[in-house]
Amino acid sequence: MSIITRSPFLFRINTGSCNGCDVELATTAMIPRYDVERLGCRYTGSPKHADILLVTGPITARSKPYLIEVLDELPRPFVVVAIGTCPTSCGIFRDSYSIEGPLDKYIKVDVNVPGCPPRPQAIIDGIAKAIEIWKRKIRDEK
Amino acid sequence: MNAEIINFLIFPGGIFAILLGLILMSVERILVARFQRRVGPVFYQNIIDIIKLFNKETLIPKDAKDFIFKFAPLFGFSGMLVLVYFLPIPGVYEGIKGNYDLIILIYFMALPAISHILGGGASSSPYAAISVSRELKLMLVYEFVFIIIGLTLAIYVGNGSGEFSLKKIMDYQLQNGYFLFDWKLWPAFLAFLIFVLATLEVPPFEVAHHNSADIMEGYLIEYSGVPLAMFEITEALKIVVLSIIFQIFFFPSVMGDDIVLNLLWFIIKTLFLIIFIALVHASLASFRADQEFKFLIRVPVTLSLLSLILVILSIKGLI
Repeated sequence: MSIITRSPFLFRINTGSCNGCDVELATTAMIPRYDVERLGCRYTGSPKHADILLVTGPITARSKPYLIEVLDELPRPFVVVAIGTCPTSCGIFRDSYSIEGPLDKYIKVDVNVPGCPPRPQAIIDGIAKAIEIWKRKIRDEK
Repeated sequence: MNAEIINFLIFPGGIFAILLGLILMSVERILVARFQRRVGPVFYQNIIDIIKLFNKETLIPKDAKDFIFKFAPLFGFSGMLVLVYFLPIPGVYEGIKGNYDLIILIYFMALPAISHILGGGASSSPYAAISVSRELKLMLVYEFVFIIIGLTLAIYVGNGSGEFSLKKIMDYQLQNGYFLFDWKLWPAFLAFLIFVLATLEVPPFEVAHHNSADIMEGYLIEYSGVPLAMFEITEALKIVVLSIIFQIFFFPSVMGDDIVLNLLWFIIKTLFLIIFIALVHASLASFRADQEFKFLIRVPVTLSLLSLILVILSIKGLI
């Protein structure tokens, strides 16, 4: 059943990011040239369809409940990818009063894509690695 | 197995139509990607998507109306499955040869939208509620356009009396020239293309299930796993059904008596429709909900009514 890992659906959530990483993610989604659809990916609008969750931003106090809600709504098995420095380590916002990150306080992060913002090629590479991890998770589940 | 079961489950309907529709959807994605200078997925991508969704966990929200939520996709799916069995494919398949199948076709074409409305309404999500209200408004307009186009053709073929048999509409065109080349029906043809885009909900008419903008997939927001796969299969069958209707209404040309050759010719004509859809998909942005409603109520309704008036005038002998 390794064929099913060729159709990952992506969902992205912005947890208080400055939009830099979101713009870079959008270049892999809507703008010509960098193509995640080549890997079979498709951006979906609902976390319930998703297999791979892309998180941008240091988790702010306001966005934390929504992040936890999204993590509950994802069907198992799923893979979490942290896009940019912010969800990995909170970056320059670390120790700020309104930051409740980094992301691995709440869920085991499978792939970190560092950079501020990361290049589109790095994001696509991160998604390709996430697909490998997703494949392993499906195998372990059976 | 007798011939009708094979027709329903394997050759024009059932497995063949589902696979053809899914491949056509993937081809549309590839074409959009190529128009945007990307590579795009493989040509069987949507089949993999369906296999994956069947293996995925199905989540049902706590507040959803359980029974309707689970079985709503089946309304549209069964409607489209019956239509593929029921419609004649020019030169390939005879259909059920009813005398009033155009009327039944008009009824059945509304079923996928009704399944979206039922499913979205039962899923207890505010996004789905907004999407359902939009879909209802738009459905009223584009179904109206489809009914006028159907009536126009029926009046034209029956020479004033109304001929509701699809077989006779096809035979009339094979004898008297295709409606695609008849100037009186060009406005109806344009209206039909807009109807195809509006029922398939490709970008300019995407307000009911945007996936990246305001309503987050709309009525599909709470769906996952098998019911979501059923909605995808319904979309695939809808592309096949719309292509068959397009060919019956405007261009039922055949290549001799050979079924294989005719089937290939049918698929080539379908590909032209897909190229048109992909071109519109790749080049136009989406309407706002009110803009889409105004556009649909002005342009295609006017065009189809214009065709109806021209046809009535020509039957009266005035033009």
